[in-house]
This record gives sequence, structure tokens and C-alpha cells, in this order.
Amino acid sequence: MILTPEILAIFILNSLFLFFGIIALILSIKIYSKWDLNSTKSLQYKLEKNSYLTSTIIKFIFLIKLPLFLFFIFTLDKISNILPGAMCAAGVVDATPYGMYLFLVKIINLYLFGFWLILDKIDVENEKLPYSKLKFGFFIIIFFLFLSELILETTMFLSIDPTTMVSCCGALYSSTSASYISILFQIDPFMLVSLFYTNFVLLIIFYFYKNSYIYAILSMIFIIIAIISLIAVFGTYIYQLPTHHCPFCFLQKDYYYIGYLIYSTLFIGTFYGLAIPFFKNINYYKISIFFIIAYTLIVTIYPILFYLKNGVWL
Amino acid sequence: MIKLNNITKIYDINKNNSITAVKDINLHIKDGDLIILKGASGSGKSTILSLIAGLCKPTEGEVIVDEKGISKLPDHFLSLYRRENIGFVFQKYNLIPNLSVKDNIILPLIPDNPDEDILNTKLQEVMERFTISHKKDIIVRNLSGGEQQRVAICRSMINNPKIIIADEPTANLDEKLSLDFIDILKQLKENGKTIIIATHDPLFFNLDFASKTIDIKNGKIIS
Amino acid sequence: MTINKYLIEYSINSLLRQKSKNTFIIIIFTFLIALITSIFFISNSIKYELNSTIDKLPDITIQKLHGGRIVDIDNSVIENIITIAGVQSTIGRVWGYYYFENAGVNFSIMGIDNFETQYTKSLEKVIDDSTKTDILDNNFMLVGSGVKKILNNNFFTNSFNFISNDGSFKKVKIGGVFKSDIELQSNDMILVSKELAYQILGVDKSKSTDIVVKVSNPKELNTIVNKIKLLYPNTRIITNDDLKVSYESIFDYKSGLFLTLFIISLFTFFIIIYDKTSGLSSSEKTEIGILKALGWKIDDILKEKFYEGFIISFISYILGISIAFIFVYFLHAPLLRDIFEGYSQLKTTFNLPFVIDFQILTLVFFITIPVYISATIIPSWKTATLDADEVIR
Repeated sequence: MILTPEILAIFILNSLFLFFGIIALILSIKIYSKWDLNSTKSLQYKLEKNSYLTSTIIKFIFLIKLPLFLFFIFTLDKISNILPGAMCAAGVVDATPYGMYLFLVKIINLYLFGFWLILDKIDVENEKLPYSKLKFGFFIIIFFLFLSELILETTMFLSIDPTTMVSCCGALYSSTSASYISILFQIDPFMLVSLFYTNFVLLIIFYFYKNSYIYAILSMIFIIIAIISLIAVFGTYIYQLPTHHCPFCFLQKDYYYIGYLIYSTLFIGTFYGLAIPFFKNINYYKISIFFIIAYTLIVTIYPILFYLKNGVWL
Repeated sequence: MIKLNNITKIYDINKNNSITAVKDINLHIKDGDLIILKGASGSGKSTILSLIAGLCKPTEGEVIVDEKGISKLPDHFLSLYRRENIGFVFQKYNLIPNLSVKDNIILPLIPDNPDEDILNTKLQEVMERFTISHKKDIIVRNLSGGEQQRVAICRSMINNPKIIIADEPTANLDEKLSLDFIDILKQLKENGKTIIIATHDPLFFNLDFASKTIDIKNGKIIS
Repeated sequence: MTINKYLIEYSINSLLRQKSKNTFIIIIFTFLIALITSIFFISNSIKYELNSTIDKLPDITIQKLHGGRIVDIDNSVIENIITIAGVQSTIGRVWGYYYFENAGVNFSIMGIDNFETQYTKSLEKVIDDSTKTDILDNNFMLVGSGVKKILNNNFFTNSFNFISNDGSFKKVKIGGVFKSDIELQSNDMILVSKELAYQILGVDKSKSTDIVVKVSNPKELNTIVNKIKLLYPNTRIITNDDLKVSYESIFDYKSGLFLTLFIISLFTFFIIIYDKTSGLSSSEKTEIGILKALGWKIDDILKEKFYEGFIISFISYILGISIAFIFVYFLHAPLLRDIFEGYSQLKTTFNLPFVIDFQILTLVFFITIPVYISATIIPSWKTATLDADEVIR
């Protein structure tokens, strides 16, 4: 078991989240079951007041969760210095069976919390509070995912064994490893890159057509294609090494922390893209396409610079 | 146009004591009216004011302002309604003592985060109208009673509301200041404001420009 | 979410309206933050100092274990190790601790030999030729400044009487006092010739206390370690990296310990804040009522309360880390330092190196400000959802 101050800090905040999350859960259940906007009884009045408390708690959790996620990645990086064999966060994630799941759940939860907040905003700005019941029902579901995230995180950190050797990302993300990731590298990189840019162009086209459903689906596909192409192709240009496919190493200082920028632009862009059909907000198009273009630019610059410097592709 | 239809308001329904503040009130106020609600303390006149301002919700019945029911509006809209349509004048002025005149007056505007210029224009206008601009940066607690009263009125008028609600506005004023206040009311009425005053100050009982005087006793309208 | 500067002004004024309560909160919070930040700064600086020390230590240290305890190792091992490819030099060290009963302290005794290259570059710098002759040929000793002080206090000004292993007294003159740049290491150290060390420590002349190895290519370190292990399976081999990791763990452990204590105080603080911000005086209630009557939404009041909370916690944060900064790096952290040091009885007097670490500042940020704000959530909500019509009464 490893217990660095960073991990303790994460535990402190998680306990805080759990405490307030449970309060929000109880209130959500009450509201979901008894909400009746037309009633003038004092119960309804109390429920309306409680809904403010729940929203405030959820806003608070989300507000802290965002920077905390970056802090989490950074903590993983720091632990990699203590774990034998790990050179970057990838090793730490792989050190326990929980690592990858935790990562996925965390990201999903960020999206879900984000959607909840948007839902809350449009609910409150409508006289009939049409989504109130829905949004609290939604939160009940989110809470259980959130709870599993907290449990996974705690278990993961407590079960990391500083004496066991872990694989380095070189082994994990290579074409010879036995995991499913190696399948990615069997795909022709040229095809991956074409798929990526095609998706990008389609997104731009549908930005102008403003068809929200197709744009959202394209965004969803874009997340997947972007990450795959990042690991398989673009990453190698950042590392300038054809065999280095790790998605975590470029979060480190050596690469000017570019990883944080890459992932934030990708997630913000696709978040707003996914949100459009549900929340029907024209501004989201602008935000989404801005960040998606930013991501594509960053990810394209590396190979181009490499080609200009060296005259060949990897 | 303000309509109160079959309004009943009961406080503390679930505990063992409940107070029926008003019962079966029906009231119709036309635009530009000046209404005096007359009655002793505890008679329910303050509750009626609260209901019109949307500060509390009726237990039964409906409050309709300009064809729109406001009783069931959620807080977001109710506050907006109040901000745009209602100007309050309280009994104890209820200014924030350690803020300046200017800071007190702009309180209703703060949540909107308006442009500096727009804010200053509105501020200037209203301060000049009630002749308090020369005291703009003075801390309110250092002002005289009459000046504080004028600041309170500025504050209630900064958004140029249609409806002015005053609860015992002259309770803390001497006769001269009370008469000054009544003058201001007259001006406001001439400007087309709808004014509702709850008071038991006899100075109000025979006003020539009042549209109606309503007696309230034990939560019911008598006259 | 644009920032509402009027709201900020209002929040500040609101805070000023309750000067005593808010000052009290800021003082406590600042103190807590200063404390935990100081602990982190100190631990970090010591870690940094130790890491720079470790880099100058031998690449490989070989110790012979017998029944789990370190025993003297045969000098024949040295010859065999030198033959391993990649080994640059191998030296048998003679060192140990000498317990000086009068002062109740341990001195570290280190034997040096003219023909062997010194394993620590800094010691090389410290010894000049004349002192070297004194030590090696005339059996003088070179003492660290901490040792000198203790000896002086016990009236040993020019020489010291060691009690050797066989019970006899061995008088050794003090040849000089040295100050190396790594005070942590040298303060309690006494340098003597190897021959003298053998006598004082009672080590057999055909053996050494341990063997240190320097490798030419650090990347081959692990291979060489494995080879040595094969040759001598009952030895303990400690590398440079092992030391680094274990120090890191100890420091994390100690910091972690403090963090745990800190959590407890944080929890108490949480309760205090909750309580303080909960109780509303009637004037506060009136104020909220007024705001609502003037058209402020519940959300606006919540926002305002959040601004208040953030301003207080942020001010405390800045004050706290500044105080910690001054305390640790200008006043050199009296009292707190001792918690981390203490492997020997002699207190070191070195200055903590100046290490600015944004990681620490971020860490402290995360464990303090969100906790404060969370303590204000429920009280702020209660305030914001007060019924406004009571104000009119």
C-alpha cells in the first residue's frame, strides 16, 4: 500500500464528496418521489428549497472534480517514480486490475455531471420547472456511478503494491503485447489517419448544416477515433519514436505537459458536441467546433514538424 | 392590474399552532391606483403586501398581476418579477448601514451585473430626482432620518417599477417628514405608478389623491 | 459564468460587517494552512538535500549478514569484485559508531586510507594535504563541528580518550575541525586513519565493515549487482536507487502522518465553520430578507455566499503559505524541523535549501479551500432559502 500526501488529499476530498453526495442522494430520492409543482402544500415548498441544496452540492462536486481529475493524473505520474518498473502513469494504471476501469468511470462521470449541470440550468430557467423530477432521477443514477468511482479509487490506491514490478508503457502499448491494445496496431496507420481526418471534415460540414443528431454521433465517434489514432499514430510523432505509443507519457514535463492540453481540448469539444441534441443550444456548436479544431491542429502539428525536420514519415 | 382571488394564507400549517393571516381576500387594484390598507398590526395588511410582491405564496387562491399568475412561479421568475415591477419602501428603511448611499441604491441591480455606464445613468437619474446626489458617497448611517428615507425611495425606484409597495412608511418619521413623504407619493401617482400602502397613520386616511381605502381586520376585508 | 464585480464588492463589505467573526476564522485557518505547508516545505527541502547527498554516495554498498545482523566482511571479497566487468573501483570501508557515555551521544567513526580514492567527493574537498598527514601518519583525528562542540562541553579540548574494544584507553589528538557542505552527514563524524579505526572499533584487520563499489556505467548497475549476488548470496546489496526510494517512503510516511493529524484538525475546523456560519443574527436575517425583497434570487444569494467563502479561504491560503514560507526559509523553522531529523542526537545546524514546489502549493490548495467551502454549503443554503416576508413585519 502506498500512502503519499497526494493520495491522502484525494481521500480527504473523496470523503467530502461522499458525505455531501449522500445528502444529495437522499434529497433527490425525496424530490423524485414526491414532486408536484401544482401543490401548494408546505411539503412541495420544502422540496423546492431542497432542490437548491442538491444543485449546490452537485455544482460544488463538479467544480472540484474537474481540477481534481488533473491532480489525479498528476498523482499517478508521481507514484510512477516509486513503483518499480513504471515510467509514467500507464504503469500505475496497470498496477492493479482497477486502474483502467477507474479511469473510464472517472471520465464518464465528468461527462455525466456536466450534462446534469446543463439540465439543471435549463430547468431552472423555465417557468414550469419541467425537468426537475427528471434531473433528480438522473442524479440518482449518476450517484451510483459516482459511488463506484469512489470505491474503485480507494481500492486501487490501497492495493498498489510498491514491491511488485509493473510493466512499463513500452511493454503495454506495443504491437507485441498480448492485450487487446495490440490489435490497434495491426490496423494500417494510414487508414486510421484517414478515418480521423474524414471524421473531422464531416464534423465541420455538419457544423454548417447544424444537424444536431448527426453532429453528436460524429462527436461520439470522434472521441474513439481520436484516441485510437492518438495512441497508434500521432503519439509516435510527439515522442518521435515509432514504437512509443503510450497515452500517458506526454503528460509529463519532458513533453511540456502537452498531454493536458490535448485531452482537455478533445473532451471539451466532444462534450459540447454530445450535448447539442439534448440541450438545443446554438452556442454549443461554436464551442464544440472550436475545441475540436484546436485538438486536430495540435495533433497535426507534430507529424508535420517532424516531416519538415526529417523529410520522412515514421 | 393586480387581482387577488380568494386568497387565504395560513402560516405554520404543520406545527400545532397555525395562524390564519388572511382569509378569503378578494381584491382588485387598477393600474395607477393608490390604495391605502388600513388596520391595526397583525390585521393581515402586511401579508397582503407580501402576497402582491410574491414574497410568500398563498395557501389557497391566486395572485394575478397583469394577467399573469405569479403565485406558482418558481423563485427564479418571482425574483425577476419583483426586480422589474416592484419597489419596496419599508418601515425601518432597511438600508445597509455601513454601505454608502450609492451602494445601497444599486442593490437591486447587482445580480444583473450591468454595464458600468447603464448603472451610473440609472443611479444619477434617481438620485437627482429625490435630491440626494450630493450625499452619494456618504455612509448611510451618518444621514438624517429624512435623508435615509429618500435613499430608501431611490433604491425602490432605481428599476423604475410599476408598483410601489410601502409598509408603514411613516412609522419612524416626524410629521414634517411624513408630509414630505406624502408629497413624494403624490408625484409618483402622477407619474402613473400603482401604489399600495399599509399603514395606521391617520395622515393617510383622508388623502384626496387616494383611490381607495380598505379596512382590514383579522385577516378579512371589512369595507 | 462571468465574474460580477459588484457582487464581489458586496461580499467584501458583507465580510467587513462581521469583522470579529471573520478575523477569527481567518486566523485559525491561516494557522492551519501555515502549519501543514511548513511541514511539507521542510520535508521537501530535507528530501532534496538528502537526494543530493545520495548522489554522492557509493553506487553499491555490500554488507555481510549473519543472523539478520551486519557483520564484518572479509577483505578477500574486494579482490573478487574488482574483477567483475564494469566495476571502476572497490574499497573496503571501516566505520562504526562510538558511544560517548558522558554526553549520551553516538559519534560516527570513519577510517580513511591514503591509497584509496575517497568515496565521497565532498570529503575529498575537505581534507587538505597537511591535515591528511596529521591524520594518516600521526594518528590525529578530524572532527565534525558538532563533535567539537560536545567534546568542548566535556572538557576534551585537544584530545579525546577512546575506550577500545579491549578495554584500554586510546588517546587521540584532535587535528582539526571540518565543515563539509553536507552538514547532515558530517556533523557527528570523526575521521581517523584506517589503522586507528580498526583499533577503536575493534574490527579485525583482514576484514572491513562493508564494501563500496563504484561502477563506470550506471546503466549496468543492476547487472553488476546481480553478478555480485551470485558470487556472494549471503550479502545484502544496497544501491543508490534503493536508498532514494526508501528515503522517499520515509518522508512520505512522516508527511502522511502529519497529514492525518491535520485531517483531524480539519474536521474540527469544519465543524467550527459550520457552526459559525450557521447562526444568523436577526440583522443578518433582515439583510437577506431585504435582498430578496429587492429581487435577488436564491441563486444570487448562494453566489454571494460562495464569493464570501472563497475570499476568506483564499486570503487564508495566501497568508498561510506566505507565513510558512517565511517561517521555513527565513527563520529556518525552529521546533518543526526536529520532527523530521533526529537520526542522531546531535542537532544539525544546516540551512534548509530553498525549494519552490508548486506541487506542494497545489496540494495544500486542494486540502484546504474545498474543505472550507464545503463547510459553508449548508449554512449558505439555509440563509438563502429564508422566508423573506418576515422582513416586512
